[in-house]
Amino acid sequence: MAEKKKKDEDISFEESLKKLEDIVEELEKGTLSLDEALKLYEEGMHFSDKCLEKLNETKKKVEKLSREGDEKYRTEPFSITDNEEANIE
Amino acid sequence: MLIDTTNEKIFTVSSITHHIQTIFKEDPLLNNITIIGEISNFKYHSSGHMYFVLKDDKSQIRCVMFRGNSFGLNFEPMDGMSVKAKGEIRVYEKRGEYQLYVSQMLEAGKGALFAAFEALKEKLKAEGLFSPEIKKTLPRIPHKIAVITSPTGAAIRDIISISLRRFPNLHIIVVPALVQGDGAAEQIADNIDFLNQVLPELDFIIIGRGGGSIEELWAFNEERLARAIYASRIPIISAVGHETDFTISDFVADLRAPTPSGAAEMAIPDKESLVKHLLLLQGKVNQFMGHNLELKKQKCQNLVESLKYQSPMNKILQHMQTVDDLYNRLKLNMKHILTINENIFTKYKEKIITLSPKSVLSRGYSICLKMPEREVVKNIRQIERDNQIEVIIQDGTISANVSGKEEIKNG
Repeated sequence: MAEKKKKDEDISFEESLKKLEDIVEELEKGTLSLDEALKLYEEGMHFSDKCLEKLNETKKKVEKLSREGDEKYRTEPFSITDNEEANIE
Repeated sequence: MLIDTTNEKIFTVSSITHHIQTIFKEDPLLNNITIIGEISNFKYHSSGHMYFVLKDDKSQIRCVMFRGNSFGLNFEPMDGMSVKAKGEIRVYEKRGEYQLYVSQMLEAGKGALFAAFEALKEKLKAEGLFSPEIKKTLPRIPHKIAVITSPTGAAIRDIISISLRRFPNLHIIVVPALVQGDGAAEQIADNIDFLNQVLPELDFIIIGRGGGSIEELWAFNEERLARAIYASRIPIISAVGHETDFTISDFVADLRAPTPSGAAEMAIPDKESLVKHLLLLQGKVNQFMGHNLELKKQKCQNLVESLKYQSPMNKILQHMQTVDDLYNRLKLNMKHILTINENIFTKYKEKIITLSPKSVLSRGYSICLKMPEREVVKNIRQIERDNQIEVIIQDGTISANVSGKEEIKNG
């Protein structure tokens, strides 16, 4: 059980989506036992949450990277509107 | 020393330009000339006219080929191509520039840049740098990407605005680099190496720039850059120039985008449609689950119905009915039998009444009993002389002593 859970955390968006699509297909057949269907329903909801989670994981950020030496760098916010104004030809 | 202009003729810009034009027109060589050179900065305008530059290693000359003439070309001119162009050199007065008005053009073999491009392409291809098997797959949902390009061009603006439109919560790192001229290829390649070292978690790197002449795009045809793309563990998208421009980078990269904005369109998923798709799937899960439950409920109800039908109560009720039925029939039959017996009884009663000794006595007969046994005397031999007897008649009894007897012998 613990092992399964760990695996679940690592699952990619693609895998989650594929699982969700398979579950929908399986439920669509309507031949499942009630227990199986309930289990799939729970899994389906779980994977769709996972997918949405992955989509919202990142925060919007646009940065400019400046190198400082061989392995060092710093970043500063980068705005395309400022940039546009500064570079009207 | 002052310049004395009082006696000098003063020209307007157009009149001097017109004068220069006249000189061009009067020169027999410029009126009918064939020039050999390499095409650069080729633009095929939607009007059907072609604008380009012919050049060699030292100089260049502007050229235009109008639609009426370009119609008869038996090849498709492109950057890097070496051609022989025939026409007249005139001044384009509006700009004060001289240019070759091309009436005919023939291919004169590939240009030097083109040849270099072909040679490197063959070499790298033979080494396997273009093999489809080594192309890395881009993740479907990128989180953090880098763009190596000029921080001031239209390319970076397009990439950022399209990327954020498609996926609003994306982390984009702009890595400024020269994209043309000396050292450009080197800079881009160094940055690829650097990003692999310090930001290995990047989902992919876009390298690119907007459209330009073959020389302007040349950095993307250099071996140093090709090698860096090949060595990168982070997937690389090459997005150089326009749809029709192909560079060595395009061939080595894991994905070739036709333009910088095309790179964003291809590599960044449209989050809104992904969310829509997910919600649709979620809805389906709910819907099918509901359907499934409904089916099970129906099945359950059907079973309850048939179970009710199979219930022992049913049998009991049936048996009860049978019992009632039998009871009724029994009652009926009993009554019938009683009636029959009653009838028989009445008949016999009547008979008995007629056969009763009393009715005989009333007719004058009497019964003789031998005493004290009270035995009915039916035979003379029962009686002896001096026996005590009792004679029963209709309304009383007579006690007597037998004084004598006589047997009647008949026949």
